[in-house]
Amino acid sequence: MTDIIKRDGSRQRFDESRIVKAVACAMNDAGLRDDDFARSVAEQIRHAFNGQGTVDIYDLQAKVENVMMRSRYKDAARCYIEFRRERDIERESRNSLNKEILGIINQDNEQILNENANKDSKIIPTQRDLLAGVVARHYARQHILPRHVAQAHDRGEIHYHDLDYSPFFPMFNCMLIDVKGMLDNGFKMGNAEIEEPRSILTATAITAQIIAQVSSHIYGGTSINEIDRIHAPYVRKTYEKHRAQGMRWIGDEEKAEAYALEMTEKDCFDAYQALEYEINTLHTANGQTPFVTFGFGLGTSWEERLVQTSILKNRIRGLGRNKKTPIFPKLVFGIRKGVNLDKEDPNYDIKQLALECASKRMYPDILNYDKLVEVTGSFKTPMGCRSFLGIYEEKGELIHDGRNNLGVVSLNLPRIALESTDETSFYKLLDERLVVAKDALMSRIQRLDNVTASVAPILYVEGACGVRLKPTDKISEVFKNGRASISLGYIGIHETINALFGNEEHIYDSEELKRKGVEIVAYLRKAVESWKRETGYGFSLYSTPSESLCDRFCRLDEKEYGVVEGVTDKGYYTNSFHLDVQKNATPYDKVDFEMDYPPHASGGFICYGEFPNMQRNIKALENVWDYTYDKVPYYGTNTPIDSCYKCGYEGEFEATARGFECPSCQNRDSTKMSVTRRVCGYLGQPNSRPFIKGKQEEVTRRVKHL
Amino acid sequence: MNYHKYYPLDVVNGEGTRCVLFVSGCAHKCVGCHNASTIKPDSGHPYTLELEEQILKDLGDTRIHRDGLSLSGGDPLFPSNLNDVGRLVRRAKEMYPEKDIWMWTGYELEELSKAQLAVVKYVDVLIDGRFVMAERNLSLAWRGSANQRILRRTEGML
Repeated sequence: MTDIIKRDGSRQRFDESRIVKAVACAMNDAGLRDDDFARSVAEQIRHAFNGQGTVDIYDLQAKVENVMMRSRYKDAARCYIEFRRERDIERESRNSLNKEILGIINQDNEQILNENANKDSKIIPTQRDLLAGVVARHYARQHILPRHVAQAHDRGEIHYHDLDYSPFFPMFNCMLIDVKGMLDNGFKMGNAEIEEPRSILTATAITAQIIAQVSSHIYGGTSINEIDRIHAPYVRKTYEKHRAQGMRWIGDEEKAEAYALEMTEKDCFDAYQALEYEINTLHTANGQTPFVTFGFGLGTSWEERLVQTSILKNRIRGLGRNKKTPIFPKLVFGIRKGVNLDKEDPNYDIKQLALECASKRMYPDILNYDKLVEVTGSFKTPMGCRSFLGIYEEKGELIHDGRNNLGVVSLNLPRIALESTDETSFYKLLDERLVVAKDALMSRIQRLDNVTASVAPILYVEGACGVRLKPTDKISEVFKNGRASISLGYIGIHETINALFGNEEHIYDSEELKRKGVEIVAYLRKAVESWKRETGYGFSLYSTPSESLCDRFCRLDEKEYGVVEGVTDKGYYTNSFHLDVQKNATPYDKVDFEMDYPPHASGGFICYGEFPNMQRNIKALENVWDYTYDKVPYYGTNTPIDSCYKCGYEGEFEATARGFECPSCQNRDSTKMSVTRRVCGYLGQPNSRPFIKGKQEEVTRRVKHL
Repeated sequence: MNYHKYYPLDVVNGEGTRCVLFVSGCAHKCVGCHNASTIKPDSGHPYTLELEEQILKDLGDTRIHRDGLSLSGGDPLFPSNLNDVGRLVRRAKEMYPEKDIWMWTGYELEELSKAQLAVVKYVDVLIDGRFVMAERNLSLAWRGSANQRILRRTEGML
């Protein structure tokens, strides 16, 4: 008697009737009838393996296929093979789902655990989120994504970002919350009806609540555009309240006003301190501290200036007993000629404060007003760390607040270059990939069709998206006509150029190669512009930050193409259009190198430079900021701001194989230090939450630009 | 005069964005010297008029703003350096009176010779004094040990 060895290694007696059944099914699928055929196949199989003690299931199935292919029922054979293959794929994917789930339980799947430096995968709520993510990703790939899109994603030709949330859930990426509309008109949240606040302390408390709610309903970053403008009325109300009180108790107008001024300044500082703590202690339903960005800096009224200085002074002070550098909210400071750029401008003093803050806490990054308007059409804060909306008008008025981004799909440009033989074939293949990327993006949009406002009342009913729909209303209109953006991303211009033209000459050193890099990005822009015209949706080109993607694409390409010098040999791909992090260039030259890209990739970009400790040399930092003013719209300065709680050292910790180490006292206890690095547009603290391997490698290789 | 290194763009040797020249030759031989390789006057490369022209050109760069020139070493006031350093600071000051000149020396202001003072008169900020290991402090601005002073012309200290 023969035993069959099954896939899981278990044994089962050879059973002729199972073969009969399978062959009969295949006959049926092929629309054929021959009752004897199935039985004769089964008999031949029995003969073939007669006398063997054990037979592997794969050999048995191969034998069935061969017998059927030799018969006159070739169509039935094809049906059998197809059926077997589908079963194999299904079985394999069930296994991979199991494996991923086990990886979370056993805490050994680094891909999943460290994918997002902002998620603490050691704690239960995050593990629940990761588990939901694994299932959502799995289901979406099998049942929601068009087949060719899912395949292109799995092969690493494109990256369908945030598959752990979307399209399984009808969620979008990032947004500018319409806080003003919500505060002005009131809204409902949970069981509470919220009215317009009467003081800055209440306004910031409610703002924190809004942020918490909103970030549980979207998967990308939440930004508040010009928070100084939005909160200014509540500073005024606070002042009036204190003034009235002063008049009641002091009587003297001058004294009452001095009293009100001092009390308001104190309240305002406290309000932003509370808001900063609130955000850093929040834990959203997505298992993380929300990605929050505050944009501010252009207001010149007394109230707006007070909001600006309160935010900066709080940040300079640091969080908690150890005065730790907070990484949220991200601060983005607007700079404008006539407001704060030059010595004679009314807010020049606040620019100095912003410089001090950047030298000590890395944030704020800066938005250069004129350049941003030139590149994106209007001034606004980035959504999340770097996503920028284009212009959109309602009733002749430019609207920013309440708008959003629907998501990103990124192209693996280095892969296309590796697959191409020359530039012509590169662009031909790029065209093919662009079709897939567009289909992928359209599937994101389609997922939101027929979805009603009731899935996220805070967004669509209570005003965060700037609309007040009924719960039964469909949400799709909110995203049309360029109100929302939807983005094509790209990564690794540096590696793409190396793969296409060889790496004998660095792109930085060759005008010709530089031009080639810009040409690729311009080509992508042309593609999204045509999609925009064709669909009416706000397609934009986005320079993918590639936190985990820098690792994933490179890893997949290395598997496929081996270690290719200058391309797959580093373990990561370079962030979007950025200069190779290992290239020695001054920050000025780096800005010049990168400045040609944002005008093309106007849907998302950031430039930054690596600096030594600048706390004693604010003037030099200002020189660089000023240099960027008419060159790049959005700029950040990375400076070493690590600190040791043991010996008090402040500067740059070394990344060693055993973790970060204080250069002064060799402390490696990650609970006794603050280590801050720029992950991409956001900052991270890799001592407490490690970056994914490729990103860590990239961070380690960054050279100082001065 | 010989020099060790010239950095056309620097932000860690004086306030603002600067050009920095590290000259060779120093009489002090402080224990724990930060730049011990520059002590010998014949170390490094010969300082040329060509380099001087380059420095003056960099200072006037219109693309990247420079706040001034920094001289370190070695010791810019080492006797055999006075000629070249003196000419450089004089020319720099004449061409760019709005830019400041910083200088690090191991001598103390009070012990400077007439010839050295003739050079220092073009200097806006002088960091003076030997490096003393016992007074070493890494958190001090612009200097390595607490005995060293930052003397600013604008504050009447020079």
